[in-house]
Amino acid sequence: MKYGYYPGCSLEGISVEYNHSMRSLFTALEVTIEDLPDWICCGTLAAPSISRLLGIATPLWNVAKAKQEGFEQLVAPCSACVYHFKNAENQVNTNSKLMSEVEAVLETSLTGLPRTVHPLEILVNDGFEERIKSGIKQDLSDLKVVSYYGCHISRPADVMQFDDPEDPQSMDLVLSWVGVQTLDWSRKVDCCGAHFSLIKPDIVVDLCTEIIESALEAGADAIVVACPMCHANLDTRQGEIAQKLGRSIDIPILYFSQVLGYALGIEPKTLGMKKHIVDPLPLMLEKCQPWGNGSPVLQEVSA
Amino acid sequence: MDFRSEIEALSGQNTNLCFQCSKCSAGCPLGDKMDLKPAQVMHSIRLGREQAVLNSTAIWLCVGCETCSARCPQGVEPAAAINAARLMAMQQGVPPQIKEVDIYYRGFVDNMRLNGKIHDASVAGITQLLTGQLVENLPLAWKLFKRGRVKPPPLPFGGSDFRKVYRKSFEIEEGSAL
Repeated sequence: MKYGYYPGCSLEGISVEYNHSMRSLFTALEVTIEDLPDWICCGTLAAPSISRLLGIATPLWNVAKAKQEGFEQLVAPCSACVYHFKNAENQVNTNSKLMSEVEAVLETSLTGLPRTVHPLEILVNDGFEERIKSGIKQDLSDLKVVSYYGCHISRPADVMQFDDPEDPQSMDLVLSWVGVQTLDWSRKVDCCGAHFSLIKPDIVVDLCTEIIESALEAGADAIVVACPMCHANLDTRQGEIAQKLGRSIDIPILYFSQVLGYALGIEPKTLGMKKHIVDPLPLMLEKCQPWGNGSPVLQEVSA
Repeated sequence: MDFRSEIEALSGQNTNLCFQCSKCSAGCPLGDKMDLKPAQVMHSIRLGREQAVLNSTAIWLCVGCETCSARCPQGVEPAAAINAARLMAMQQGVPPQIKEVDIYYRGFVDNMRLNGKIHDASVAGITQLLTGQLVENLPLAWKLFKRGRVKPPPLPFGGSDFRKVYRKSFEIEEGSAL
């Protein structure tokens, strides 16, 4: 399988640790990914708010480029990017006039586009279970987490065509492969408020308060996420959430790629675990039982 | 073209399928902050109440989480119709009920035009400056900077295909009768 990789804007900025952990996880799993050359932003909700055609053509420029490069699948770790790719493709496939207009903008044919996927889709669908299980170097069986999927891993179902829109299981499944305990909770597909963090932070604080309270009630040591916006909001707003609740809140927010990478023995620094506002390392060191002497995690701490 | 037909053409949604069960309103994470709830937006579109929809807070508060679309028993995507109404409001220059959202989306696309990708730190900084929220966000910006999560803008400007996509989208859109 020839995988193209589309990091997206957040992963080159505020969510650089997701990028590093994702790339190092692919390396550890011996998966070759090639960056999509000259990629452009997916346009998110902004481009379609300015012009409908721009909002469809912008994400599809990237998918058309992936086709030219011969990629069979285009992997985007940001679930919002994946949604905008799949949604744009869905729209042109159901509207022939729109299809011809977008083809005129992009000056290329949009038939036979490669599938755009979130990394969780690859891990679940492309047979990685044995490869991950056989590479485990750290015992994480004491770690209790909740999987937080947010909006666009599986929603809307007819566009995303992956997992269950109300009760997704893919992240719980891949985390269970490395022995992590994933708890049941009721906020796994709630919205974190996304980009409103920049414009209406009080709304994001409201939404994230409910998510974090629910995770703590479930007894989670950490929240595991698969989207840069989810991470940014849950990780950076805990000070305001603590003020709102009148008690201290300090729950680490981890990317699934960091948890898998940690279990496979990748150093925390490589996984970007030192870049979070809420430091996850004390928790990981408390819960981590090394599989043998010379564990890379313990080496780094003693050094 | 009347308001309802225009929204339906832009969004690809048939608003007549909506039978007002209001599951979309019940599940909307921003519903408690909206004047018109999603089901009311759908009904207002069907009734052709253009000014009520374009002057609602709902079209600005929708973050596109798609909970409404996931739960609609009729397979309608209210978020798509709401997005279409926001597009109409922005294209017509209707004064936005939540001006921060308007500033953010326009600034975001302006930033994309520099080199195709956005530079998240400058989008955040400019938006917060224009909406009067910069000072209170500086401590967080400093924490992120110290952790290496604020990157310099990607250079050089103008090196991507986005400007061409932008120009041609508007050319074709203007040439095509909706």
